[in-house]
Amino acid sequence: MRYKIYALLIITQLAFLQPALGQDLEKLLEEETQDMEEQVITQATFKTTRIVNGQSIENASPKELIFVVSHHFGEVSTGLYDFFGVDYSNIRLGFEYGLNDRIAVGIGRSSFNKYYDVSAKVKLLQQQKGKRQVPLSVSYFGSAAATAIRYEDPERQEDWTARLNYVHQLLIARKMSSKLSLQLSPVLVHSNMAPTSRSPNDVWALGTGGRYKLTNWVSLNAEYFYTFNPEDEQNHFNSFSAGVDLDTGGHIFQLYFTNSSGMIEKLFISGNNGDWLQGDFRFGFNITRVFSFGKE
Amino acid sequence: MKQTLLLLMLLLTGVVAGLQTGSAQRYYVTENQTVEFVSEAPLERIHAHSEKLSGILDLQTRKFLFQVPMESFYGFNSPLQREHFNENYMESDQYPKARFDGKIIEEIDFSKNGTHRIRAKGKLYIHGMERRITVPCKLTINDETMEVSSSFSVQLSHYGIKIPQVVSQKLSEVIDVQTQITMRPKNE
Repeated sequence: MRYKIYALLIITQLAFLQPALGQDLEKLLEEETQDMEEQVITQATFKTTRIVNGQSIENASPKELIFVVSHHFGEVSTGLYDFFGVDYSNIRLGFEYGLNDRIAVGIGRSSFNKYYDVSAKVKLLQQQKGKRQVPLSVSYFGSAAATAIRYEDPERQEDWTARLNYVHQLLIARKMSSKLSLQLSPVLVHSNMAPTSRSPNDVWALGTGGRYKLTNWVSLNAEYFYTFNPEDEQNHFNSFSAGVDLDTGGHIFQLYFTNSSGMIEKLFISGNNGDWLQGDFRFGFNITRVFSFGKE
Repeated sequence: MKQTLLLLMLLLTGVVAGLQTGSAQRYYVTENQTVEFVSEAPLERIHAHSEKLSGILDLQTRKFLFQVPMESFYGFNSPLQREHFNENYMESDQYPKARFDGKIIEEIDFSKNGTHRIRAKGKLYIHGMERRITVPCKLTINDETMEVSSSFSVQLSHYGIKIPQVVSQKLSEVIDVQTQITMRPKNE
């Protein structure tokens, strides 16, 4: 009985003495800072605003201007005579500008079918960690494009709105780890005038894409768009593209192979894709240059 | 009787020890602080700062621990630069904090007001690598608060941070770091 009392006393005494002997600084500091845990928004889910042809969750940052030059060459299957497609190319020049933390706008001009496009991307939800855990990023991408190409029949009269198409796309992405990011992008392309009377005006598709970082400066990217109701059911191939992102500090080079000829949604989701298995894919690249007009 | 006395003594010393540590301001913690760094390269000057530094100092043992989350640095020349800082150089996902822990070499009387030139010796952890360094600091004791300021430099290669050839003119191999810290007694 006595021993138990002594033992108990010595233990309580040790408990009192313990602070005098010095506590673990790390624990004390943790105690002090536990309420200050910072909310951290996930950065760089993708390196730039496109995975390959399709939009990524990334926006131009506030007061940042992004200049994108995209090239798609001819099909590799054309062989040596056309230098595996390099003799032909179609391009898109685009500018994107970040208005604020959430909204970025863009304009572009494609040589393919002489398309002008305007777009806006709005961040609805941002993946973040801290007190509030948000596992996903969600953005809306909307765009309108107009073709300026002349009708084959010069006598043909159409309302100018017949040249327009609209894109509504939801981008849902998650940076799974520091190396891997994945994205799902349901998309609707509405054309005011479909190419034939049997083609749908509303084309629905589901895009998937991902990025895997090989090093801090190089990543592998791939994307696939499954189109549910293409404009031309018989001759449609889904868009598939794969390549690498090279970050050089100021420029980002995206080098890839794709079976799509165009760089805007109307072109690669509704149609205009080649058959990979027949070698009907092409080499392409995007060069992205970022100009900042404000301190971060 | 003897035993009861012994019991009583044990109890008392326990209580006294407890009280003593309760009243003495043994631990000081950061209250107001900035840490900033500058990279002076031929083509670009990069400057960033963080206010999220936190730290603790044990006046009895003179041991300290300071840390700062890498993702709390702001003020870069562009958002892209901040992204590069976290993604490509510091790898903040894997190594979220930089840390300095060690001991003040000089024995100083923390109970009197005054300014001291001290040296903080310890291990600096950055990017998952550690290195022993000694940082000269100016420490000013002013009643209940303590001001600590210091500046030192960090060589990136010591911490396994590589600068690619293409940006070697834009990023300095040696980064100058400055801290300005106000500390107060830790709340019990």
